[in-house]
Amino acid sequence: MTNSSLVQARALRKEYGRGDGLVRAVDGVDLDIAPGERVAVMGPSGCGKSTLLHLLGGLDRSSGGELWFHGRRIGQLSERALAEMRRKEVGFVFQAFHLMEELTAQENVELPALLAEVRPWAARRRARDLLERVGLGDRAGHLPSALSGGQRQRVAIARALVNEPVLVLADEPTGNLDSAATLDVLRIFEELHAAGQTLVIVTHDERIGATADRLILMYDGAFVDETTLVGGTRRSLSTLIGLEDSAGE
Amino acid sequence: MQQEAVLALLAKEPAHAYQLRARLDDALGPLGEGLNAGHIYVTLGRLERAGLVVVEEPCAAPDRSDRKLYTLTPAGQERVSQWLSELSWPKPDLAEFHLKLIAAAGAGLTDPISIIGAQRRELLRRLRDAQHAVMGEPADSDASLLLEGIVLRLQADLRWLEACQRNWASRRSNHRRSDQ
Amino acid sequence: MSRLFVILRLAGRDLRHRPGEAVMLVVIIMAATAALALGLLLQGTTAHPYQTTREATSGPDALATDFPAGTGAPASPAALRQIAPLARAQDVDGHSGPLPVAFPVLTFNGHADAVLAEGRGNAPAAVDQPELTEGSWVHVGAVVIERSFADALGVHAGDRITLNGRPFRVAGVAVAAAFPVNGVGFLEGSSQWPNPGLIWTTTADAESLATRQYPLGYVLNLKLTNPADAENFADRFDPGGYTNNTGGLYVIPWQMISHQDGLLMAHEQKILLVGSWLLALLAVGSLAIVVGGRMAEQNRRVGLLKAVGGTPALVAGVLLAEYLALAVIAGAAGLVAGRLTAPLLTSPGAGLLGAAGAPQLTLPVIALAIGVALAVATLASYVPALRAARTSTVDALADAARPPGRHARLTAYSTRLPVPLLLASRLAVRRPRRVLLGSLSIAVTVSGIVAVLFAHATLAISQSAGPAVTTNPGLADVGFISQTARENQVLLTITIMLIVLAAVNVTFITWATVQDSRHATALTRALGATAGQLTAGLSAAQLLPATVGALAGIAGGYGLFTAANQGASASQPPAWWLITAVLGTLIAVAGLTAVPARLAARLPIAETLQADGP
Repeated sequence: MTNSSLVQARALRKEYGRGDGLVRAVDGVDLDIAPGERVAVMGPSGCGKSTLLHLLGGLDRSSGGELWFHGRRIGQLSERALAEMRRKEVGFVFQAFHLMEELTAQENVELPALLAEVRPWAARRRARDLLERVGLGDRAGHLPSALSGGQRQRVAIARALVNEPVLVLADEPTGNLDSAATLDVLRIFEELHAAGQTLVIVTHDERIGATADRLILMYDGAFVDETTLVGGTRRSLSTLIGLEDSAGE
Repeated sequence: MQQEAVLALLAKEPAHAYQLRARLDDALGPLGEGLNAGHIYVTLGRLERAGLVVVEEPCAAPDRSDRKLYTLTPAGQERVSQWLSELSWPKPDLAEFHLKLIAAAGAGLTDPISIIGAQRRELLRRLRDAQHAVMGEPADSDASLLLEGIVLRLQADLRWLEACQRNWASRRSNHRRSDQ
Repeated sequence: MSRLFVILRLAGRDLRHRPGEAVMLVVIIMAATAALALGLLLQGTTAHPYQTTREATSGPDALATDFPAGTGAPASPAALRQIAPLARAQDVDGHSGPLPVAFPVLTFNGHADAVLAEGRGNAPAAVDQPELTEGSWVHVGAVVIERSFADALGVHAGDRITLNGRPFRVAGVAVAAAFPVNGVGFLEGSSQWPNPGLIWTTTADAESLATRQYPLGYVLNLKLTNPADAENFADRFDPGGYTNNTGGLYVIPWQMISHQDGLLMAHEQKILLVGSWLLALLAVGSLAIVVGGRMAEQNRRVGLLKAVGGTPALVAGVLLAEYLALAVIAGAAGLVAGRLTAPLLTSPGAGLLGAAGAPQLTLPVIALAIGVALAVATLASYVPALRAARTSTVDALADAARPPGRHARLTAYSTRLPVPLLLASRLAVRRPRRVLLGSLSIAVTVSGIVAVLFAHATLAISQSAGPAVTTNPGLADVGFISQTARENQVLLTITIMLIVLAAVNVTFITWATVQDSRHATALTRALGATAGQLTAGLSAAQLLPATVGALAGIAGGYGLFTAANQGASASQPPAWWLITAVLGTLIAVAGLTAVPARLAARLPIAETLQADGP
């Protein structure tokens, strides 16, 4: 196991059902994620990318294979240890936002901190700061029903960051958002990446996928293609409208 | 219709004009309806003048265009290779890319999958650049509107490329199976 | 017609889809209906039992007695001369006797008591022939014991007893209308035997049991031409009534006996009345929870039905069909259950024919109980259907109509609590009405238990105090014991029913809470709470209101008992009884909630989150 990886998976598998009804949601996946890397996983619906993310985040247990996170083997962790991992080391952003309807934005964001037994005033301060960072400082006291989809997702992102996790996992974060809201989320991810946050994003939106350092294509539970997008010379944007010789690289 | 497409269709083996026409029809299906019959001959003429193809006349036939057999010259072959590995995407010209893949597969020159992969990577990089440009622009500027259009088109093209990938990958696995 | 078919199909498929829910609904409606029916039935008990026994045994319209006034008085021949002429008095239509009565001391199983031994012949008497409920009639050396007395002693046909030291066998057990059920107040003429038991022997045996200290007395059972006039008849021969304590001739009309029985019953009926109100309260509480819980869940289904093209009428039809089916089944089952349990509580003193005196399942009772069940059905389906007609389909699908409750200050305060309590308080705040109902149902149950404890303590004291006069300190007041034993039995049965209903309530509330908060639970676990913390939180969300309810129940129980006791003397049960009751209730609640809580806290996170929305 390479020490530089934050997350490492070998032959990771997740199966449901039995016999004829056996479904291999994740079918032998090998993955290495370095700290600070931004990885996108794309694929058609039902290809298993969400399941993979759940496995990485400790929301589900694998059926086989090995998974290391932050130096530890996840498969052997107890329920309690997994919960602690989810609490302190992983931040999850869901497509459906999953905010508590009866809590304000600030109360939603501070909840993981309270679960991590952070002092109430410290939790509240962290929540406030994070809401400022995502541009919702003036909406801290609003209920989710009073927020737009994009704003709700930004609250969810703030919530995912409140315990300063080493890994942020986002499952179709812009799936329910319009273009403008999608841009907001992309900007936040850009900032996070610039600050060194490790991100794994599952998406079917090529715009999101294109911003990643590495784009993995998934099909039928397995990785079928991997593209490294970072690096390479920066070309003039004019090539986009065919304004200079289209000699390519 | 790029003349390179016609050129590439000769890469597999020499062909008569009408055979080329048939290959084009096969590849384009109903989309090839509007193809002007004469266009092929004009293109072939140009290619011949450019020295990329050469005509072999069968011995005992009179001088008739439709009996001419066209072959690639070495210069023509090189042009084909160059064209196959070109990654430019100046105007969305799906038909050209589509023919590129078919020609490559037919000629056995390059694996269509790798062509698709390379083109995908290029488009992704362009999308990434465009996306970055969008984020750098103020929301209502004219440029941001244009950039949004470019992003959306690139997104659409990428989706098609993914479909191409799946399609050609399954063709390949079918082939393998039937070969066994 | 085809629309009806569609409705039935949809309703049936829906029920099959969620059998667990349907079963829980049936159980709770059944329990509530049973409790309600029982409550109603108990309230309807009348003085019927005496009437029925009187008819079955040809009870006398008037009872003439001539007992010795005290020890040593040679009453026998004089008594006979005094009492015999009444048999031929005016207005007398028939008679049996004069029957000799002796006053031996009966011992059985180490227990000793004074009894009245009435001598009988083999042939059935014309007036007052006791009805055997066990064994056979008297013959030489074998006696028949009156049923309430036999119950108190624990004696059955075939057992061996002694009378005045002589061995006798028990031939059988019977009931009669000629004496009040346990003789309270009746024989005040003989102050030394305030509450003797009653047995029947052969005439010869009775005569042989007379002693010099307690000679024979006589009893004459009379049938009058005008039974309604029995009181005037009695006045003619005994103008002083039996308030004189000096022995001699007394004539007692049947109305007086009935009244005495009634007095006995009054005490029990007080208990039954209070118990029935408690049961009815709990029943209504359960139904409120059911209706409230189901109403909320209907919104989404209504939305789905509308989205696939159902008109509001169709939607209402489907919901109504489901609930009607369940409510009718549950209601009928509950009625039957209530009817079956009622005799346990109201068998009116073993001294009267219990089965015949059982509470009647009259039409009003049936109608009311089934009516309640149907009302639940209609409410549960009508209100959401009505709402469905008004809200847009989209809103209904999003289940926007019933967001979880919010309390800003409590939420803010809860941040200072340890994690399980934080979760518990936030869970409770989401559905405040359900919390309140849960708390109330525990309060009602504990009130009942505490009232019972008070009653028990009071009875125990008065039991040990007993009748003031006992010549022999070893003699216990068996009749009185039998009454208190029965009262205790009634109290116990009511308490058990309260506990059962409360348990059903608590289980249903827990289940509803768990269902309701499935999504929130999964989300909280995804954010890092452990399953253990959530189990504790879900449990505590029930337990904390239950504690409040239990403490309120202590005060409530005391108030209940005081009200029912109507100012009579009361005594307090020992403090540890009350503490045990409260602690026991809380432990039971914790147990009932822990299991569903644990199951809920261990559901797979990802699946639950992806299931239908918050």
